[in-house]
This record gives sequence, C-alpha cells and structure tokens, in this order.
Amino acid sequence: MRSWPARGTIAAALVAAAFSLTTMPVEGQGPAYRAPRTADGKANLSGIWQALNEAYWDIEAHASAPGLVLALGASNAVPGGVGIVEGPLPYRPEALAKKRENVASRLTLDPENKCYLPGVPRATYMPYPFQIVQTPAYIMIVHTYARAVRTIYMTDHTDAPADSWMGWSNGTWDGETLVVDTTGFNDQTWFDRAGNFHSDALHVVERFTATSGDHLQYEATIEDPKVFARPWKISMPLYRRLEKNAQLMEFNCVPFVEDLIYGHLRKQPAK
Amino acid sequence: MRHRLFAVLTAGGLAIAMLLAVPVPVATQGPTVAPGAGVPRVAATPTTWTVRRTPDGKPDLQGFWNNTTYTPLERPKDVTKEYYTPEEALAMINRSAAAEAEQTVPGTIPDVHYDFTQFGLDRSQAPLSLNLRTSLIVDPPEGRLPPMTEEGRRRAAARAEARKQMGGPRDAVQNQSLSVRCILMDRNGPPMLAGAYNNNYQILQAPGSMMILVEMLHGPRVIPTDGRPPLPQNVRQLGGSSRGRWDGDTLVIETANFTDTTAYQGSSENMRLTERFTRVDEETLLYRFTVDDPATWTRPWSAEVPWKKAIGPLFEHACHEGNYGLYNTLAGARLEEKRAAEAAAGKPSN
Amino acid sequence: MRTIFAVAVAGAAVLLATAPTRAHHAFSAEFDINKPLKLQGTLTKWEMINPHSWFHIDVKGPDGKVVPWLIEGGSPNQLIRLGVTKNTLAVGTAFIIEGYQARDGTNKAVGRSFVFPDGRSLFLGGSAPGGAGGDGQAR
Repeated sequence: MRSWPARGTIAAALVAAAFSLTTMPVEGQGPAYRAPRTADGKANLSGIWQALNEAYWDIEAHASAPGLVLALGASNAVPGGVGIVEGPLPYRPEALAKKRENVASRLTLDPENKCYLPGVPRATYMPYPFQIVQTPAYIMIVHTYARAVRTIYMTDHTDAPADSWMGWSNGTWDGETLVVDTTGFNDQTWFDRAGNFHSDALHVVERFTATSGDHLQYEATIEDPKVFARPWKISMPLYRRLEKNAQLMEFNCVPFVEDLIYGHLRKQPAK
Repeated sequence: MRHRLFAVLTAGGLAIAMLLAVPVPVATQGPTVAPGAGVPRVAATPTTWTVRRTPDGKPDLQGFWNNTTYTPLERPKDVTKEYYTPEEALAMINRSAAAEAEQTVPGTIPDVHYDFTQFGLDRSQAPLSLNLRTSLIVDPPEGRLPPMTEEGRRRAAARAEARKQMGGPRDAVQNQSLSVRCILMDRNGPPMLAGAYNNNYQILQAPGSMMILVEMLHGPRVIPTDGRPPLPQNVRQLGGSSRGRWDGDTLVIETANFTDTTAYQGSSENMRLTERFTRVDEETLLYRFTVDDPATWTRPWSAEVPWKKAIGPLFEHACHEGNYGLYNTLAGARLEEKRAAEAAAGKPSN
Repeated sequence: MRTIFAVAVAGAAVLLATAPTRAHHAFSAEFDINKPLKLQGTLTKWEMINPHSWFHIDVKGPDGKVVPWLIEGGSPNQLIRLGVTKNTLAVGTAFIIEGYQARDGTNKAVGRSFVFPDGRSLFLGGSAPGGAGGDGQAR
C-alpha cells in the first residue's frame, strides 16, 4: 500500500518548489517575482512606466519651498520630498560651491527650462511616462520629455564614440535584472531642478528589476570623481501606466522655448 | 584640387547601387502597379528569398535602413514613362552625383558650406537602393501630385501671405524653417522622406509595438500594433498619432491627428496618411505611402521609395541643443543691422 | 536577386532629381561670402555634436599671439559609422582650413575644406574617384 507523505512534508516540498522557481529577491522586497518571458527567455520589461516621487525637483530630502515665478504661485512651488538618495550628496568642496551657484541661478541655468535633453538618471524620474521597447539586441527607452531616446546595446558592446546628452549605454542581464552601464556623457545636464550636476566623467550603472506585473524596482549608482568624493546610489519604484489607452504623447518642447532662447535676437521694429 | 569623389556606377563598379528586385523591365514593358495596391508585383525573375520572421511570425523588418534617393517626388515634365531603363537610371544618378560632388566655386553661395564629401555626407556616399521609377509618386499614374482643391489653393495662399507678414527669414527664429529650428525634418515626417544626408533609420520590432528611430532629430516613432484606439480627434500632434497593423506580410501604419503646422506638401490638419512597409529582399525595404486629404487634393495620392539596408549606429542627433548655427545667424543679422544703422547715422562702426 | 547593368551612354532626358535641400540651414546667412579666409591652426577640441560639429583651433598670428577660432563642420554621424571617434583627432593636430568668417565678425568660420599640412583631407575626400573612403554600405 502506498503511504502518502505527511502534510507537513507536502507543504515543505511546495515551498521549496516555489522558491526554486524564483531568483534572488531584490533587497528590501519580499519573495522575488518572476516576470513573463520575452521570446528570447528574458524578463519582459516592456511597457509604459513612470516614477512617482518628487525627485525631479530635488533628489535629496527637502522641505517645500516657494517657486521662482511669482505669477505661477503655488503651481510652481516646490513640494517636499523624502529624497531618492540616502543622506546629502557627497560633493567635493569646490563642486559644492558650483552647486550653490546653480541653485542661485537655476531659473536661467537649468537645462530643462530650455527643452534640452535631460541626461541620465534625471530622465527616469521626470514626471512623465516613458516606454521601454525591448528586443534581444537593442532595448530603447523613449521618454516623453523632449522625446529623449536612450539606446541600450545588449550584444554589441563598444565604447562611446563621442560624448552625448543621454550617454552611451551597454546592457547585460544579471538573472532577472537588466543592468545598464552608461558613460560618454557631456557635462551639460543636471540631476534635478535643484542644481545638482555632474561632469563629463559621469558613470551611471542602473538596475531594472520587475517586482510585480506593474512595478519595476530601479536602482542606480552614480560615480563622478571630478564632482563627488565617492559614488552614491538612488533607488525608487517605477509604476506601470495601466490606462487602456496609455501612450506616450508628443512633447516636442522646442517651440515652447524658442522665445526664451532666441527672443532677445528678434528684429526690433524701426524706431 | 578636388576631383570627383563618387564612384561612377558601372557594371563592374556597382559599389553603391543595388537593383531593386521589384520592377524589372528587361524584356517586357515592366509590371504595372494598380492604384492602391499595397505591394507591387514581383520581378519576372523568380526568387528563392523568403523573409526572416520574428518569434511571433511577423516579417522581420528590423535593422538599419537608409532612404536616400535621386528620384524626384514628381515626374519631370519632359518624361512620360513610368520607368527608366537601368542604363538611363544609372546615367541620371551619375549626373546628379557628379553635379553635387563637383568642387564648389569660391565666392559662390554653395561654397559657403562645409564640404559634404569630407564628412561622408554627400548623397553619393550613402547606401542607395536603385529605383528605376521616374518619380516617387506612383499614383496618379502620371507620377505627379493631383490637382489641389479650391480650399487647398486658398489655404496655400493664406499661408504664404501669413509667412510674408512675418518678415525676413532672419528677423526672428520663428521665420526660419521647422528644419533649421530642429523641430521637424523631412526624414521625420511622416511620411518619412530623405533629405540631403543622414537619411538613416533604426527599426525595432517587439510584440505590440514597432519602433522607428529616425536619425535626424533623434526622433522616435513608437507605433502600437496591439489594436489600441488612436487619440481622440481633437488632440493634434505635429507627427500625428499612429497605429500599426499587419496586412499579410506588409506593415501598415495609419496616421491622423496632424496639426495645421505639419503642412506636408500643403496638406491640411485632416490629412490621413497610410504607410506600408514590405521587406522585398535582404537589402531592401519597400516603403509606400498614401496621402488622403480631400480638403487639399481632389484625390488621394501615393508614392513609393525603396529603403536600403545600412550600417549603424545612429549617434545622438541632439539638434536643438547644438543649434549654434541658428543663434549665430540671428545674432549676426542683428549686428549687421546695428552696423548699418550706425554707418547711416555717421557713427564710427565697431 | 541582384542584377548588374552596364551603363550605356544614355540618351535619356536630362533629369536632375529634385534635390533635397543640401544645406541644413543657409550657411550664407551665418557666414559672410565676402570674408573668405585661410587659417592654419592646431586642434584644441573637436566637438562632435549635431547638427554641425565644431572644431576649436588655436591659430598663431604673425605677431606670435595665439588666437582661438571656432570652425563649423559637418555632422559627425556618418564618420562615427565609419569608425571615427573622439580619439581619432589628437589635440595638437595641425591643419589648414579654408572657409568664410562669421557675419558677426567673431573668430568663427565655416570650413569649406579641412586639410592636413601635406594636403590630405582630414577625413574623407581625396584626389581619386571613390576616395570618399567608406561608402557607408551595409556589410
């Protein structure tokens, strides 16, 4: 006669089986989630995603503050945020002075105001959706803001041929996590609207991990020896845009900023 | 002294051209293309090539492509036939290439420019899919735009008048073209048509989505292919709103929701554009588009361009960010006016 | 299926394609046709940017003073596809530029030709047909 395993043994076996199907859990998260597969067997990170935090104002923890444009009143005021980086940014002393100058002149200096490409990782947490288009050899991230596009080279890894605003990205898979290693940045972008900046020595390593069908955990390590005394990390969830007709709308902001940039060069009527 | 820098297209030196497998007037008159046909009939010579497919069974259109062409949109006035012979087509291309590669004459407007060939940007240095057609327009069969409607003509005149009221091209940034302002270029469209150089595209194909990255302006077109509805009618975008679907082995992209600024060949904001992509061989993507704008033309019209397989990468075209030329142009104009005014007033100019 | 055709002397009607706009913008609006110049300088930086790249060069005048100039060139994108990188042109490289000065009179010019002192073109172009170097063809 066949003897059935004890109930406890069955339960233990089921739990063991469940864990054997998962990978290492992401730090700070519960049991690991396994995303649906792409045709080439990778975690499918495709879709329209958006960050939901106040980092685009200031990546450090900060209180609310008035805005810069009187007529915009509360709609341009800065909401408080707990920050996406632990502790203050480790600026080198001379770089901290530049950050303070940036803050003081941010109305004219912030590249976002001129519809300039946002750089990385700022693009990730701007308050607009972005889309991940995933294929085996190339993953592209298309941002609403300024129609910024990042190309992540998954198989053909080369050095950046020249500097660019969004950098040059080489990607690999670390189990379920997409790891993106980006260099080749120019020194023109900021990290937020609070004047946090970098040099052309910027090096960013990002990790994208699906933690549910509608969430990605996003982490990035930022390294820039010309500006910061040591590397630092940011971390946040990214949320899937679930609306049935979710899509990236066109945000071609160049026409919105032309008078700002070129207005003073307009021909004045003859006196 | 610079010599001609392009390769003369010959039987032996066919480095640049590659015959499009599709229309082949060898012994016959050549195939005709019925108006509205999505895919032209294949060459008389049978081929064993079959298109590679993505895991979901769709033709694989991915890769780098270039749509450089020497073929004009409209058939020239003194040409009546639909196709050149290969010899005529190659001769036409060689003449154009020679004219463009010739050393510019010092002191002439064309000379006030960097040398295209030194940067690999001359048209003869681009990948080229040889096209025997005498015009890109395939329908109407005359190869020319159909007549404009009365409304289309009035609108064109109103736009021209509004443009005149704005003043000279260097009076204000908005008086320059959308291309110079890094807002919209012919390569972006849609429809997507070649300009002088960098006519490169990268196509990615994922379940539910096609992505076309246009090199110029580093412009993304992310086109849902999962059947989701387009934007509501009242929401207008410069590039419209596109939705894709498969019709057999042809990708069909329908775009509407254009603005009044788009104005492709004088189109209205209610233009409806249908683009079709068919991979006809390893090196060739056949691109065909139909413009349906009853407010502007008396009938729809269609054009066709073969795209040639190209190499990557597409380096970031951060056009607006790097647009010093536009700034310099406006600043220079204001300075020249100031100097002229001072000279007229008898002041010493600086 | 690829078919090769011979070129015959064509009696075809002259047909020049409706040329796409060659110039991204009217360079003659930015630079002065009446101010042609020739400069010899050394490279301090090549900004490989779009829509046009910019060469920063130091030009030593007859008085021995070094004056920086900014020279506008073409988009670097096709050169990048042909293997050119930010390391290709070393700082200090000497070359000769012929071009036209900016209308605003500053030390900016468009370089209609860039050559090394020995006459070779900086990148592509040369004295032989097909000297265009890479043909940008898919491999």
